Amino acid sequence: MSSKQHILNSLKKVAVEPVPMPEINIVPRTEDLVGQFETNLKACAGILRREGGLEALQSFVDDLMKEGKQIISFIDGIESNREIPATPHELRDIDFAIIPGDWGVAENGAIWVCCDKLGHRITPFICENLILTIEESKIVPNMHEVSDKVSLESGNLGVYIAGPSKTADIEQALVVGAHGACSLNVYLL
Amino acid sequence: MSTTKGSQVHAHKADIFCKDETKVDWHSKALWFVREKRDRAAGSIPEWEEIRELGSQVKTHALSHLGHYLEEFEKNCLANGIQVHWARDGEEHNQIAHSILAKHKVKKLVKSKSMLTEECHMNPYLEKRGIEVIDTDLGERIIQLAEQPPSHIVLPAIHMKKEEVGELFAEKIGSEKGASDPTYLTRAARAHLREHFLTADAAMTGVNMAVASTGSIVVCTNEGNADMGVNLPKLQLHSMGIDKIVPNMDGASVLLRMLARNATGQPITTYSSFYRGPQHDGEMHVIIVDRGRTDMLKDKIIGESLKCIRCGGCLNTCPVYRRSGGHSYNYTIPGPIGIAVGAQDDDTNSIPWACTLCGSCTSVCPTKVPLDQIIFRHRRLKAESGQLPYGKSSYMPLVGKFMASETMLNCSMGVARTALRILPGSLMKPFSGAWGKYRELPAGASSSFEAWYKKNRSN
Ligand code: SF4
Repeated sequence: MSSKQHILNSLKKVAVEPVPMPEINIVPRTEDLVGQFETNLKACAGILRREGGLEALQSFVDDLMKEGKQIISFIDGIESNREIPATPHELRDIDFAIIPGDWGVAENGAIWVCCDKLGHRITPFICENLILTIEESKIVPNMHEVSDKVSLESGNLGVYIAGPSKTADIEQALVVGAHGACSLNVYLL
Repeated sequence: MSTTKGSQVHAHKADIFCKDETKVDWHSKALWFVREKRDRAAGSIPEWEEIRELGSQVKTHALSHLGHYLEEFEKNCLANGIQVHWARDGEEHNQIAHSILAKHKVKKLVKSKSMLTEECHMNPYLEKRGIEVIDTDLGERIIQLAEQPPSHIVLPAIHMKKEEVGELFAEKIGSEKGASDPTYLTRAARAHLREHFLTADAAMTGVNMAVASTGSIVVCTNEGNADMGVNLPKLQLHSMGIDKIVPNMDGASVLLRMLARNATGQPITTYSSFYRGPQHDGEMHVIIVDRGRTDMLKDKIIGESLKCIRCGGCLNTCPVYRRSGGHSYNYTIPGPIGIAVGAQDDDTNSIPWACTLCGSCTSVCPTKVPLDQIIFRHRRLKAESGQLPYGKSSYMPLVGKFMASETMLNCSMGVARTALRILPGSLMKPFSGAWGKYRELPAGASSSFEAWYKKNRSN
């Protein structure tokens, strides 16, 4: 008998009392979604840029390019100095990646990002610093509200990103910048 | 008491941990601090208790229909281009992992946290066969370099002080001697591990959830090590216990709302990644493992331990775990949940007693795993199969008879009260056994509670 068949057979004798899949009817908190989002993003060590939108972002990028920083952008209209390379490994020296976020979650500051339109899935993780954008109308109250909205096509990778990478594995001291990006700025559009 | 496997009873191992009193104090307080952060995070969500109940129901529903959902998961994975393998035990899991890696001539594997591969002892299995395995979670890398097992399921190196980590890193990864600043040490590890990410031939991760309706797996990390690992090489492997199944995205959202809040008090982990297929030109494998889980599901009470989402909350709150450390449980998973899922393999038959039955674990658990009931059930099973630890099987029947006799009990309590009042503590201490080791004896009361009650309250 295959291991699969063996496991499935053993599962015919489960003693745990069956219950139906519950209905999820959580009342969302809809007041000041941007404010909630900002507070929670801050708790995750990310920064929300409320003012100036894409123009502010472009002038920030211009300054960075003058300093010689390596920048890759996936946002129409934002000019940068790097293209998608042939292999993911060549992204190792990217200083800033600028990527559109699809949905924002007010209750925890997370932003849903589809990785397959980025050429290489590694982009939001390998960059030294990450910049995401989010449209104000795409911020929803909680995870229940977003779960049927996020698109995750067959074969794709989608990720909720909440802040820069971090760790507290040495004596519980919080250190921002573990293996992924060391900072996260979110531009509100 | 030693046994054939070289494991020792919990109390003995706890004794070793308790030798350094300042460190134990620090350990206990650090974990309690995490527990307090968890309370604040839970308290900030008015519907917390409601989602706990939903979480419990989602998991119970999935477990009671597990065969159905596993098949649905497999079917959808295949449609997404994900290859699925089934393993009955650790050995079979390791064989499958190795055969995939060998086929691709993998020399270096980067791994992110997976308690399951720890359970299966996969690292030594692969290393023996010439594959270098690099643990990439910072805490896991620390203990891998120190050649120790994890002592906590979320904070694997919580038993080590920063000076010890500094010394270890200086020796193993060439950081500055004498450095102990956590930021400096983390940066040193970042640079060291980045080289490994960039030169790995394959990556492996654990699975936080497996979504049946979409055929996708969810991996949560704060460090980003899982995604850094998986998205550079072309080959990705993911190991999951059969219990990781959730029916759909709604179910996954309920659990995601609680996981990080209950683990560390964060609103959500930094990265919650949904892999619904391999990267372009890549290969993605999921290994579904039983390893005793179907047996556990045959017991109505013990089966509920598979509702666990491995947040670590029950460890942080446990008064025994905080003061005995994660290496005292003879099992990869320590603390209340470690007792729940590991007691049947404990050859010292002492682990189910590493618990005061206070129930704190049960009340913090996000999916309402009835940990205290499960631990009690393990005691009962050990007793029924004649496997009580030595002391308990010899004196407990006597204690039972003694407590049941009113005259005997009253009379001896009277003697004890007088003795506590008039004899010096040093003479009385030996009678208190292990209990008195770290405690002072109480002052003897002048009369019994019964006598006091009769005099003051009975009419
Ligand atoms: S038993 Fe509950 S509290 Fe303990 S690790 Fe599992 S989910 Fe968390």
